[in-house]
Amino acid sequence: MIEARADIVGNIWKITARVGDQVAKGDTVAVLESMKMEIPVVAPAGGHVSRILVDVNQIVQEGDAVVEIDPTASA
Amino acid sequence: MFWEKPVTQLDADRTAPTAAQPTVPAPADQREVLTQRRDARFARVEPKGKRVHTARERAELLLDDGSFVELTPLRTAGPRPDGTPTGSGVVAGWGLVDGRPVVVACHDAAVASGAIGAVMAETIQAAQRFAIDRGYPIVYVNDSGGARVPDGIFALHGCGGIFALNVAAQQRVPQISLILGPCAGAAAYSPALTDWTIMVKGQGQMFLTGPDIVKAATGEDATAEEIGGSQVHTVTSGVSHLEVDSEDEAFDATRLLLSFLPSRKGGRQTVQSAVPANPGAVERLPHAVPEKSSVVFDMNAVLDGVLDNGARLELMPEHAPSILTLFGRLDGRPVGVVANQPAARGGILDSKASVKLARFVEFCGRFDLPVLTFVDVPGFLPGTVEEGRGVITHGAKVLKAYVETTSPKLTVVVRKAFGGAYIAMGSASLGAHVTWAWSGSEIAVMGPGGAVALLNRRELAAADDPDALRTELAARYREDVARPYLAAEAGIVDDVIHPEETRDRMVAALRMLTAGESA
Repeated sequence: MIEARADIVGNIWKITARVGDQVAKGDTVAVLESMKMEIPVVAPAGGHVSRILVDVNQIVQEGDAVVEIDPTASA
Repeated sequence: MFWEKPVTQLDADRTAPTAAQPTVPAPADQREVLTQRRDARFARVEPKGKRVHTARERAELLLDDGSFVELTPLRTAGPRPDGTPTGSGVVAGWGLVDGRPVVVACHDAAVASGAIGAVMAETIQAAQRFAIDRGYPIVYVNDSGGARVPDGIFALHGCGGIFALNVAAQQRVPQISLILGPCAGAAAYSPALTDWTIMVKGQGQMFLTGPDIVKAATGEDATAEEIGGSQVHTVTSGVSHLEVDSEDEAFDATRLLLSFLPSRKGGRQTVQSAVPANPGAVERLPHAVPEKSSVVFDMNAVLDGVLDNGARLELMPEHAPSILTLFGRLDGRPVGVVANQPAARGGILDSKASVKLARFVEFCGRFDLPVLTFVDVPGFLPGTVEEGRGVITHGAKVLKAYVETTSPKLTVVVRKAFGGAYIAMGSASLGAHVTWAWSGSEIAVMGPGGAVALLNRRELAAADDPDALRTELAARYREDVARPYLAAEAGIVDDVIHPEETRDRMVAALRMLTAGESA
């Protein structure tokens, strides 16, 4: 399993991915609100979304896992 | 003399010629002796593992074909038990890169794993002194386990001497370090005293000590790659500034880097013919920045529409990516470019980004490279983590670097510049020679949302419809306080411009600021 992680401390504004979604490397899976900016959380590799690890309006720290991705299911 | 000629065992062996001896060609047997000595000296143990080139081959591959001349090629740290000389442990000398002289020192991992003994240190120091005396850049090709243990305190003294000359050279010539093998201790510290460090992925490591000694010292179990591989140093630590996939790429990157740099402080800039910006990017420039200030975008779209459409070299691309630092050209002239990168962490300044930015600007200043700053910064990242990292001290380094830099400084605010980060990003207050703001940009102590919440707290609390009032007050603040015309009317930015004017404005300013240079 791999995780899409927050690059920066902030508030989870939107979760754009749903469990089961196929994502490619670089796809946005959630959007953080930090410093009045909409900062995307992106998939570090392709796969399918296996778990959402946060709730909307939750504060996350830099490096926190936001979405879990199963890379073996990318085909 | 600028360097003291070293006394080696070979020198001591040599019979000094006397005036009585006629200057006739050496007899055949003497030639034979010389040939044998050279062959023995130049014979290299075959490189091991991923090492694909010997030290001498590395020097030759880095430099223009046939230009390498070795300094004291016969110098040796002492014979092997069978009597054959082993060499000094370093292949040092000079040659050309694109026709310009460069000094190189390549650790020879085939001699005691490149460990730095007294004689090797003296040979490196001789190369350093030569470069400092003549004003030529130095490229260190590092592949060494650190100080040579049997040489004891003499090895340490020699390493310290290399460091001292690294520091002396900082004020004289550019220094570039390549990390082409495991580099421990002194072999890692010398690069940290140079300007730019390039690592080959999976092949080069830098650490105080390797896995065995780490394990013995603290019990931590980690591989060499985990302790000091290129990912550690180009992503996390920022110790190294570029990761490449092969030795050949490392040499290419070094040559490209040198193409932007003068040979010495105060030396001639490597001006080429001007190349227009990418036409497509110029066309897209007015729309490169999203109108909504919270939406991220790739600042490279702006740089493409302004800089010459030619070679660029981004340094530290993966470390603190909210700031871009790169060398490129404007009007054919090499420039250092600093830019916020909204696509990464919103383009914020934090501790790591500040250190990266300050170091780059300081380097540009030292070698008279103009600094072009492209600003879209939401601010310094606040909070417990950043304060704990010392963001105040690190942010102050940015202020100091801009103030101390005397090369031409041009700054353009492309979208927003708030608070202390506005000041830090090459503002007029810090000595920028010319500053502009794009017509849609915002410059203020804080953004409209934060300002309204702070300034209009009571009205908002009492309002029937606080959201509508907040929107109205924010719009008014944006017009009355944050718009760049206020800054321009106060003379704090020189002018408000349209995006598509940026290149012409910067070219004109740069020509003006460098006009006296060639006179």
